This record gives sequence, C-alpha cells and structure tokens, in this order.
Amino acid sequence: MDTTMTKPQYDDGVVKYLTVLAVVFLVLGTLMGTFAAAQLAWPALNFDIAEITFARLRVMHTNTVIFAFGGMTLMATAFYTVQRTNGIKLWSNNMAWTTAILFTIGLLLAVITLSLGMTQGKEYHELIWPLDIAVAIVWVLYTFNFVMTIASRNKETHSHVYVSNWFFLGMMIMITYLYVVNGLAIPVSLFQSYSIFSGVQDAMIQWWWGHNAVGFFLTAGFLAIMYYFVPKQAQRPVYSYRLSVIHFWALMFGYVWLGAHHLQYTALPDWTGSLGAVISLAMIIPSWGGALNGMLTLSGAWDRLRTDYILRFLIMALAFYAMSTFEGPVMSAKTVNALSHYTDWTIGHVHSGALGWVAMVSIGAIYHMIMKLWNTEMYSMRLINFHFWLATIGTVLYIVAMWVSGIMQGLMWRAYDEYGMLAYTFAESVAAMHPYYVMRTIGGILFTSGAVVMLYNVVMTIKMAQAKQTSAVAANA
Amino acid sequence: MSNIQQYFSTDWSAMTGQDWAGLIITVLIFIGMAVAFWWALRPSKRKELEDQKFKVLNDD
Repeated sequence: MDTTMTKPQYDDGVVKYLTVLAVVFLVLGTLMGTFAAAQLAWPALNFDIAEITFARLRVMHTNTVIFAFGGMTLMATAFYTVQRTNGIKLWSNNMAWTTAILFTIGLLLAVITLSLGMTQGKEYHELIWPLDIAVAIVWVLYTFNFVMTIASRNKETHSHVYVSNWFFLGMMIMITYLYVVNGLAIPVSLFQSYSIFSGVQDAMIQWWWGHNAVGFFLTAGFLAIMYYFVPKQAQRPVYSYRLSVIHFWALMFGYVWLGAHHLQYTALPDWTGSLGAVISLAMIIPSWGGALNGMLTLSGAWDRLRTDYILRFLIMALAFYAMSTFEGPVMSAKTVNALSHYTDWTIGHVHSGALGWVAMVSIGAIYHMIMKLWNTEMYSMRLINFHFWLATIGTVLYIVAMWVSGIMQGLMWRAYDEYGMLAYTFAESVAAMHPYYVMRTIGGILFTSGAVVMLYNVVMTIKMAQAKQTSAVAANA
Repeated sequence: MSNIQQYFSTDWSAMTGQDWAGLIITVLIFIGMAVAFWWALRPSKRKELEDQKFKVLNDD
C-alpha cells in the first residue's frame, strides 16, 4: 500500500491513506448534513424511510463529520507532523496501519448501526457499547504510537518537542480520559447498555464530555494542525513561540471547566453553570492569543493571500476560530443563554466552528500534505480558489441563517401578550423558520459542492503524480 | 451583610469530601497555570523558546 517515492525516510503510506479517506468522508458527511438540513425545510424528504429520517441522519452526519472526517484528518496530520518535527519514522508503521484500518471499519459499522437506530442516546457518544470499546482501543493505539515516536527521537538533534506535538498529545490524553469516563455503562445485551450515571450527574458528565469533545478533539487537535501547517505554508515561523506555549497551557488548564455552561437553568446547582460561564469568558483571552499568533505569522507577507489559496483556507479558518471562540463564551453567559439556548443560534455557533474553523484548517492542511506526499503541484490551483469561495460563502450563508432563525425563535418563545399568555404557539415559530432553513440548505449545498470539487482535484492530482512517476520510470528504463 | 459578601460567603462546616477535593484541585490548577505562564514568559527563556519556531521550517 505504501507508494511513497519521494520521502523514503518517513512512513507516509498510512498518511496518504488517511488523507484521501478524510476527503471522502468530508464529502459524505457534508452531503448527509445538507440532506438533513433539507429535511427540516421540506419534511417530505424523509420519504418515510426509517434509516434516513432526520433523527438518524443527523446523528450519522455528526459522527461522519466529527469522527470520520475530523478523526481521519487528525490521524493523518499527527502521523505526518510527528515524523517531520522529530526527524524520525513512526515508532511502528504496522501499528499505524492497524489503527487506520480498524478505525475505517469502526466508522463504517458506526454509520450502519446508527442508520438502524442503534444508539446509546448520548450526544456525540452515540455508538453502541461494542463499537464504543473498539473506538477507545483504536484511539489508545493511535496515542501510544504517537507517544513512542516522540520518545524514540534523537534527543541530541531534536532535544525540544515542537509545540504542535504538545497540542496533539493534550488532545489524545484528554479525549481518552473523557471518552472512557462518559462511556462507562453496563451492557445488558450485545447492542444495548445503560450508563452508570443517572439524573443530574449523567447530564453533568455528558456535557463535561460534550464540550470537551469540542475543546480537545475539535480545538486542541486542530490547533496542532494550525501550529504546524500555517508556518509551513506561509514559509515563515510562527509569530511567537512563547505565546503558543501560553496558549497550550491555558487551553489544557481551562477548557475542562466549561461543560456546565450547557446546563444553565436546569437541575444542576446554579454555581456550576456560573463557573462554566466565567471560565468560558476567561478562555477568550488564550483563544484570541492563539488566533492572533497564527494570523500574525503572516506579518509582512499578507500579500501572499492574494496568490496562495491554501494559505487563504488556513487564515480564514483562524478568523472563524476567533469569531466562534468569542461567540461561544458570550452565549454561555446566563443572560444571553436564556435567549439562545435550545434555539438555532446554537446550531449556527457550532457550524461557525465546525465549517469555518475545523473544516477549513483541515482542508488547508490536506491540500498542503497532498502536494508534499505525492511530490507534485495540485492538478488545479484555480479549483482550490473556487473551493475556497464555495466554502466561505456556504459557511457565511449557513451561520447567518441560523443567527437570524435562532434569535427569532428565542424572541418568539419568550413573547407574552397583555394577558400574560404566550404570544406564539410553537408551531408558529416552526413555520417562521422555513425561509432560514431553506437558506441554510443552500449554504450546505455550496459547502458540499466545494468538498466535491476538492475530492475531484485531489483524485486528479494523485493520478497526475502517478502518471509522472510511471513516465519517469519508463524514461529511466 | 452586603450582597457581595453574601454571594461569596461559604458555610465551611457544610463542605463535603468532594467539595474539598474540588476546591483543592481548582486551587492547584490555578497555581499550575500561574507557574506555566511565569515559566514561559520570563525574559531568560525568550531566546531558548523563540529559537524553536525556526526548526519546523526546515524539517522536510
């Protein structure tokens, strides 16, 4: 499977496999999301087929984009960068391949079981217990290989471990801990289990995991990508290394406290929600420090954004990172939360982070890796530019639609008439959302179209590189 | 007692073992973060840390 020709000193075969699959899962995941969005606008699109009703499709979408696309990207970039920053091959290429193959099988089984309605019913932790355990084992294999690769480096030539590895490691350790604790359950059959937590403790543990899946999987891991690929693509060192160290420790120490802000105005003690909100607001400082650190890396070279479309993805991702890490803490404050919670504003916030930050920084890194791994230019730089605008306009359409829809929902739900009665029925608020659900679907179609363009560009680039290699071999023969 | 004093008042005798564990962990993490910030930001560390950022540009 390893077709590496240009960089024999690194184990790049598994990285290539994970990189291409990440793009495939990006297409599949966004396609599912867009179809689910269309179902909310036009419910008849359920077609009365249980496997693709919104309730199942939405979970298949979140699992595909977060764990399949996000997970594959994190594995690919971690295996790619740990070798280069430490000047050494993977500790075990076989273990990396085992991890990648098992992860692929697990993800396919996840989509099948979720479409059949098999779920633990826990947000972002839906997989049934046998798959849950399988995912945890795969994750530990991935972590172990990463740690051992760093440990095996030549300490004289590579005494310092580059900061991107710290972020990856922080993510791996914390996600293991969070995923295992939230998944603790008692199985009662092959496909069913019951959580060992119940009531308010279950809610607290669930959102301790839920928000930290965002904080460590979707933030720390992708910041690792940012700290490696932005300097590499910009060909300039990161603006401040010390700021990156501060960013890392502030994230590690601070993020774990935020989860309770998901449970404002519930049975949870009031002070826990307040604590979650206070720490959330405090986290604006390191988050913006990190975003500025990435953006200021371009100091003196901003003109490169005119011609380097891959860099555009990376810098636009940082702009969305800054925006969503400001929006999130504001939404966690009780006064704002009273309006925003349970509305589409939350969905808009999640997608400004997911599409704008996670997907765009991943896309930038994947384009960079494709060229390095196959030692070639991209098939079409113009298509990357086209992809950039499709992704950006799609994301903006999506989040603007959800902002308007969410705030309108919140205001309609709390409106009273002169007799103290609710001014609107729930059904009226649903009907009022229709134009925005259509607008969101259009945003999704644009973003998904960009992903399809990317897949085409990647496939053609690989074909082009392979054709060049074949002709070079023939010429030498 | 003013509103602020009331808000921050604590019935220490009612603290459970879990409350104490949470309090101690919180304080230790605060101290740990302060130490990490001091370690990274002290002037004598500047050159050593900032030199690391150039290495990544020549790794492949």
